[in-house]
Parts: sequence; structure tokens; C-alpha cells
Amino acid sequence: MNDIALAHYLFTGAVLFALGMVGFVTRRNMILMFLCTEMMFQGVVVSLVGFSRLHGNDTGQTFVIFVLTIAAAEAALALGLVVLLYRRKRTLDAGAWAELNG
Amino acid sequence: MSVMADKLAGVWPEITLGLGACVCMALGLAKASSTRKLTSWVAGLFLLLSGVLAIAGPQPTSGLILPPQMVLYVKLAVVAVGVVLLLVAAQLPSSWRATHRAEEGIEPFDPANVMRGEFFAFFLFSLAGVMLTTTANDLVWLFLSLELVSLPTYVMVATSQDRIRAQESAVKYFFLGALAVAVFLYGFTLIYGATGFTDLSRVQSAAATTTSPLLTLGIVLAIVGISFKIAAVPMHFYTADVYQGAATPVTAFLAFVPKTAGFVAIIILLSMLPQWPTHGPIMWLLWIMAALTMTVGNVMGLLQTSVKRTLAYSSIAHSGYLLVGLLAGPALLTSGGGGSGAIGNGIAAVLFYLVAYALSTIGAFAVLGCVQVDGHEADSFDDISGLSTKHPGLAAVMLVCVLSLVGLPPLLGFIGKIYLFGSAMAHRGENPAFVWLVVVAVLNSAVSAVYYLRIIGACYFGKPSGRTEPQHCPSRRIAALVCGIAVVVMGVAGNRLVTLARESSQLAQPSQQTPAKVVSDELPTDIHGG
Repeated sequence: MNDIALAHYLFTGAVLFALGMVGFVTRRNMILMFLCTEMMFQGVVVSLVGFSRLHGNDTGQTFVIFVLTIAAAEAALALGLVVLLYRRKRTLDAGAWAELNG
Repeated sequence: MSVMADKLAGVWPEITLGLGACVCMALGLAKASSTRKLTSWVAGLFLLLSGVLAIAGPQPTSGLILPPQMVLYVKLAVVAVGVVLLLVAAQLPSSWRATHRAEEGIEPFDPANVMRGEFFAFFLFSLAGVMLTTTANDLVWLFLSLELVSLPTYVMVATSQDRIRAQESAVKYFFLGALAVAVFLYGFTLIYGATGFTDLSRVQSAAATTTSPLLTLGIVLAIVGISFKIAAVPMHFYTADVYQGAATPVTAFLAFVPKTAGFVAIIILLSMLPQWPTHGPIMWLLWIMAALTMTVGNVMGLLQTSVKRTLAYSSIAHSGYLLVGLLAGPALLTSGGGGSGAIGNGIAAVLFYLVAYALSTIGAFAVLGCVQVDGHEADSFDDISGLSTKHPGLAAVMLVCVLSLVGLPPLLGFIGKIYLFGSAMAHRGENPAFVWLVVVAVLNSAVSAVYYLRIIGACYFGKPSGRTEPQHCPSRRIAALVCGIAVVVMGVAGNRLVTLARESSQLAQPSQQTPAKVVSDELPTDIHGG
């Protein structure tokens, strides 16, 4: 375990975060877009744990619990919205939602 | 135990709002529709109660990052503007009708269409979030309170109207919101990584001894993420769609509540730094954000055919103006001890302008909400065309509120803008780039007059369209009237409010702050004299 340095944690976190952001911008399926934001959250979580190890205090890991809680709340909200939209339009393509423009 | 009691002492207003939200939710489930209609009254009652507690309740003795007067000011502003917003939202008539029709069996029950008590519960939760943001003393707390502000607003947007565009805009709002949360959370993580603490006072002292690029990057990311809440570039894309898609009362809500929370959060984050950023990357980030936000808002505002979209871009533009004041930062350490008025104190200007902008824009939205076309709320310029012939009172409120948004003397918006731009000018000794920002801001104000005058032109000189009919919603008219009167009266006699905002913003910066040269007295301070 000790040969995993802080840099590994941070790199993993940053990669997860960046992948999530790229996915969010390029994907058009709403569930995938939501999963991409979740991936960004996980990137944050990994970095927090890494920093927590570096500083030798538990604050970062406590923070993680709260991040996960909010992520769960957002997931509940997102699925509710997606179901509502699917019932209205029968598609999950974000591009189909273009009533508001200009 | 006493530590816990002290921590609780600062949050009684928020606890009251949380309790109120629970009561509203329970009332919203009542069987009789007459009981359910009480929820708006109950929400108002709890809101006023929390205001009373904010003034007269127990005060925390320690643990605040912001000065206690500033916390009190923001809480009272939230209560006052919250009452006006509640008046605008109180009936949401279209939804009550849908609910009624579902009860009578005329239409099938659709949970997305009926408005019940939970709307007011979410309303109160979101306001509690803003209050909690001001008392935040930990990154975790700040994160949770910002989320408490935003999560209810997603639901409010989605359920505000039974039109598909409300739900579409809610989805756009939510997804960009989730992205923004991830970005500022990453910023918070880097702040923790750089200092080793999430406790903000410890972050403050750690930042004072070491300068690390990680901390700067963290604050930059946090500001970029929070720019979603204040509807500033680069996270402004949702604004026009959401403001148009949501019902007018919710739009008015979005124009004040998340914006206030966002600005308070940015003020808290910037006060982590050993001194206010007048140089370096954070200053340039805010400078570019302010310039771009103003310009994008005003240029896009020129191109719109919908009044709600125009006001949405005006909301973006006003965030840009507010960022100018934010950049100017707290008062210079003058020898006179702050006797030279609020000019020079950017934070006070921001706090004042948040309320000034809120009253002006809520008034305009309330007028829009009082008129309906073909059973829907007024939206396009044609819908409000010739408003003055049928509803002279509403047209007058619209005139006053829009002129205040332009910044015409002696209205509230004018005073606000003088303080914002004046404080940036007062700080020009610290960085000459502030002068250019003020030039950009003034040019932008001039451009914005074009589309604001289009709104007035449509109201007063347009041909009345036969399709508009008044919305039967007395409380919304009262709200419009309150905003109209407040914009005029507070504009004329706003000195007291300005003093209040100034007193409330004596930001506690760590001790290394260098006494800067007094430059504020070159500006006219007695602008009420004339």
C-alpha cells in the first residue's frame, strides 16, 4: 500500500474528473450524461481521500461521506426528471429537447 | 455541550425555516383543498418568524467567517425579499386550477401538474440554504448549504408549470448544475489539499503563511463552479432557457436566491486569501468573468423576442456588474474610519445591489405574471404590447422597475450602480485595470438601455393585443406594487440601507493587510444631496 504515492491518487482522481467532463460534453444520452457527472464526483472523492492520507487527518474522508450523500440526492432527482421526460417524449436524446431556443 | 449550543445559536432562523418546510409538506397532504391553500400563509408565517429570530434570537459568539452584521444583513434581506417572492408565488393560479380539476375528476390526476404544499416547502428550504451559506465556517458546510439552495430549485422549476418547456428547462438547469457542483467541489478538494483543513478559519491562517499554486487553482475552480449559481460566464448557458421555461414566480425566485448564495460564497472564499486579490490570476479571472458576463448578457439581450429571455440576459449582465464590485473588494483602510460613505467598499456595494436588483427584477417579473395570453403567462413583447391602456398600474410598475434596471436616477438601481462602479474606481490605485473594467461596465449599461427601452416601448406605445387578459391573482399585484414603491422610495431615501450594507461588510481580513492610499475621497460621496 505504501508504494502507492499521493501522485497516484491525485492522478486517478484528475483522470476520472476529466473523463467525466469530456463525456458530459460529448454524450447526448441523458442517463450517460448523468453518469458522467457522477464520474466527476468520484474523481473528487478519490482526490479527497488522497489528500486525507497526505495530511494524516480524517477531515477529507468525512467530506467524502457528505459528497456521496449529495450525489445520492442528485441521483434521485436526476432519475425522477429523466423518467418524467421519457414519459413525455419517449426519447432520452438531449437533442430532442429543443423547444426553448434563441 | 456549550460548543454545540454556540454552533446552534447562529442557525435558529434556518432551523425555523426547516421546520416551516416540514409543516408545509404535511399541510400540502391535507385532504381538504381549503387546508392545502393555507400552506402559502404558513410559509409566510415561518419566514417572518425566522426574520424575528435573526434579529432578536441568540447570536453566535464565535465561529463566523463573515462579520456578524453582514450575516444579519443577508438574512434579513433574504427574509424581506422572500416575503415579496412568496407574494408573487402565493397562488400559482394555473396549478391550483389543475389541482382542482383533478379533484373534481374533470382531468386525470397527473402528479407533475398539481401544485401542493411541497412547492412552498422547497421554497423555504432554498431560502434556508442561503442563510446557511452566510454562516458557513467549513468547506463541507459551504458545499452543503450551496446544494441546499440549488436542489430545491430544480424541483421548483420542473413542477412550476404544466407545460413541457418547464420540464425541459429543469433538465437543462439540473444537468449544468450537476456539472457546476462537480467543478466547485474539485476546487474545494484542492483547497483542502493545499492547506490540510476544511475549517475555513484554519484555511485562512494556513493560507496566510504559505502561498501555494494549489490553493489558487482551488479557489479559481471553486469560483468557476459557483458562477453557475450567479449566472455568470462560463456557466451562464442555462439562464435564458430556464428563465423562460419556468413559471414567472419561480423565475423571479431564481433571479435572487441562487445569485445571493453564490456571491456570499465567493466573498467567503476570497476572504480565505491573505489579502483581497488585486493582482494575480484570481483577479484576472474575476476581471475577465465580469467583462465577458456583462458583454454577453447585454449583446444577447438585444437579440431576444421574449421579455422573459430579455430579463434573463439582463440577469446575466447584472451579475457582471456585481462582479465589478466584488473585484473592488472591501473598504480601503482609511484614516477617517469609514466616514466617506459606502463608495470604496465593493462588498457593501455588492450586498446593496443584490437587494436593489432583486426588487427591480422581481417587480418586472411580477407584472409579467399578472397578465396572461391564451391561458399562458405573458412572454413575448407582443404579449405586453399596449399594457398601459388596459392596466396603467401594472405598466407604471414595469416602467419604474425597468428604468431602475437601466440605472436611471433617482431610482434604486442608479444608486446601486454608482456604488458598484464607484468602489471599483476608488480602488484603481491598486490596479489600473479596474478603470478599464468600469469603462466596459458603463458602455454595457448604455447598450443595455436599448433593450430595456424596448420593454417600456412595448408597454406604452405598442398596439394593444386583444388576447391578453388579467390573471386573477391579487397577491401578485400587491408584490408588483411593493416592488414598484420600494424601487422609488428606497431610491430616493436609500441612504439608510446603504449605511446598513456598509456597516455589515467590515470584512475581517488577516492582519497583513497593508494600509492602502486613500483615494476614495476624490469621488462624489454625497449623491443624495441633489
